[in-house]
Amino acid sequence: MTLNPLHISADIWRNRYLLGQLVKRDVLLRYRGAMFGVMWVFLSPLIMLAIFAFIFGQIFQARWPQQESGIPFWLLLYSGLIAFNLFAETISRAPASVRGYPSFVKKIIFPVSILPLVPLGAALVHGGFNFLILLAALAWTGHLHAGILLFPLLITPLLLLALGLSWFFAAWGVFIKDMTQIVPVFVQMLMFLSPVFYPASAVPEALRPVFHYNPLSTVIESCRATVTGQPVEWGAWGMAFVFCLVAAILGYAFFQHSRDEFADAL
Amino acid sequence: MRSDIAISVRNLTKTYRIFGHPGDRIKQALTFGKMRFHREFTALQDISFEIKKGETVGIVGRNGSGKSTLLQLLCGILKPTSGTVQVNGRVSALLELGAGFNPEFTGRENVYFQGAVMGLTRAEMDARFADIAAFADIGDFIDQPVRIYSSGMFVRLAFAVAVHVDPDILIIDEVLAVGDTIFQQKCIDQISMLQSQGTTIIVVSHNPYHIERLCHQAAVLHQGKLSDLRPAKEILAQYHEMVQEDMGPSPGMNESLREGSHELYFEKVLIENASAFVTNRVLTNEPMCIIAEVFARCPMDNVRFRFELCSSSNDIVAVVATNGLSEAWQLNGKHRISFTLNPCQLTSGWYYLNAIASSKYVRLDTWQRVVDFKVLLRDKSAQDLSLDQGIFVCHGHWEFS
Repeated sequence: MTLNPLHISADIWRNRYLLGQLVKRDVLLRYRGAMFGVMWVFLSPLIMLAIFAFIFGQIFQARWPQQESGIPFWLLLYSGLIAFNLFAETISRAPASVRGYPSFVKKIIFPVSILPLVPLGAALVHGGFNFLILLAALAWTGHLHAGILLFPLLITPLLLLALGLSWFFAAWGVFIKDMTQIVPVFVQMLMFLSPVFYPASAVPEALRPVFHYNPLSTVIESCRATVTGQPVEWGAWGMAFVFCLVAAILGYAFFQHSRDEFADAL
Repeated sequence: MRSDIAISVRNLTKTYRIFGHPGDRIKQALTFGKMRFHREFTALQDISFEIKKGETVGIVGRNGSGKSTLLQLLCGILKPTSGTVQVNGRVSALLELGAGFNPEFTGRENVYFQGAVMGLTRAEMDARFADIAAFADIGDFIDQPVRIYSSGMFVRLAFAVAVHVDPDILIIDEVLAVGDTIFQQKCIDQISMLQSQGTTIIVVSHNPYHIERLCHQAAVLHQGKLSDLRPAKEILAQYHEMVQEDMGPSPGMNESLREGSHELYFEKVLIENASAFVTNRVLTNEPMCIIAEVFARCPMDNVRFRFELCSSSNDIVAVVATNGLSEAWQLNGKHRISFTLNPCQLTSGWYYLNAIASSKYVRLDTWQRVVDFKVLLRDKSAQDLSLDQGIFVCHGHWEFS
């Protein structure tokens, strides 16, 4: 078993066509048969955005320090949510990603290690559309600038962490069915422990370190910085990147270690 | 591994860990395996064999003998507990037809996806698609979701994909049994074509005809142990014998029952084989003798004896009786009567015998299921196996002009 990240990526790259097909199936299957079909990929984030704009903009009238540049609050919230939702959607579905395909594990010759990547791929598709809507909203409100192009790069630690946890949860999910119940609760808890609905600066001093070392908050804050045009804290981001890379490798290692027993357990 | 070897298996053992409760697996993991929460089940024990490239090997065995486990190990789906499996080339496995199909997608989409699973690019699948569609022969349904397919259409499409992806090694588990005769013939023809192209094939089947037709060599898997690879005919004979030996009397057979006035009664009824051994096993092509010892309490005549041969499904297969013959017999005390079927001629399986003695007016002794006996084939050539059907083996002669 190799822990070399290059080997792991080569393993994934070799199966890229298959992975692409699986993601396509996954995304299409969700909308197949629905009246609006794939339109929902656009519709659901738009509805979500409209609700946030109304609730936080009109009812709560929330104000953040970052709003000095004049960006509406709901756009700040939305940019953080894009990052978090990407993570949350992936992780919540991870425990069922292998368990849900027993025939792939037991009945056909299949590179099982790419199965946990399918929720991530599907989440990326949805995240991509969310991002397009963000760009359109920024352009519409006149806050679009070049810094936003860093957004996809800055989100990479989150993808790595999601990947590592996916492998981990997918493996556990095979043995423990309860994981499909536990993980969504865990994700909801994380949402409130990460600066999604509030800026990191609003956290009391005593709790700061917790947030400082939470890679989720680093990434969400960085992504938000690209939206407001503020400088990115590269040092903290780099640490988060390394932490998440290690998490991804460990997740892969755990998955490969336990996969021998998948066929027996399912 | 030598380059002319397709599959090499060395000292392969597979033990399943059986956990009584899903939580037990976690408990064991948390104690790092120091505490055992499982019992073990050895599905395969110390198996070694080699299959040369281009050979077709059949594996036969009873349900639960480990056939599927062995195939899953060959595919790399399961990991051996000990020993090694080396496979040289790309494997296409038909362990369950259409296992990777998604019912919501159309036949066409599933075909392409299955191709991707096998490592074929879109362009490679484009080149094969027409052949696959023609082989499956499902017409316009190819663009309908698989969930609306009939089961026949489903298996035809699944089989069509598996045999058109140019595998080096094809593993087939019991899937030839599906489909109608015409489709089965088509599958066999397609497999023969792959054989001529040098594909190595492993077939598991309960159908002796398929094994004999397709396989150069075969082996019997019995309780996790594999016999040596030998010509398919010999293996089929060995397997047939094994199945016959293991098969006990059917639980559905009528209970033994006895009634009558018993002025004359059967002391015992038994079966002798050709060499005059008392037995309950006889060969279909050898004589079989029914022997009854009777006791008459007083002098009597006008007694008839009747023996009914019944199959395990309680149908009377044949009746032998002394009508028109025994009326003149003067019975008093102990007598012995016997009847020889020459040859026995019954097809293999369990049978039982009813013995009936009656005088002109009274049933003296009716003994239902007085003795069970089993008919076996001696020469288990496939020729005989194919005739071992129905109720009895006909003897007669053909004429041709």
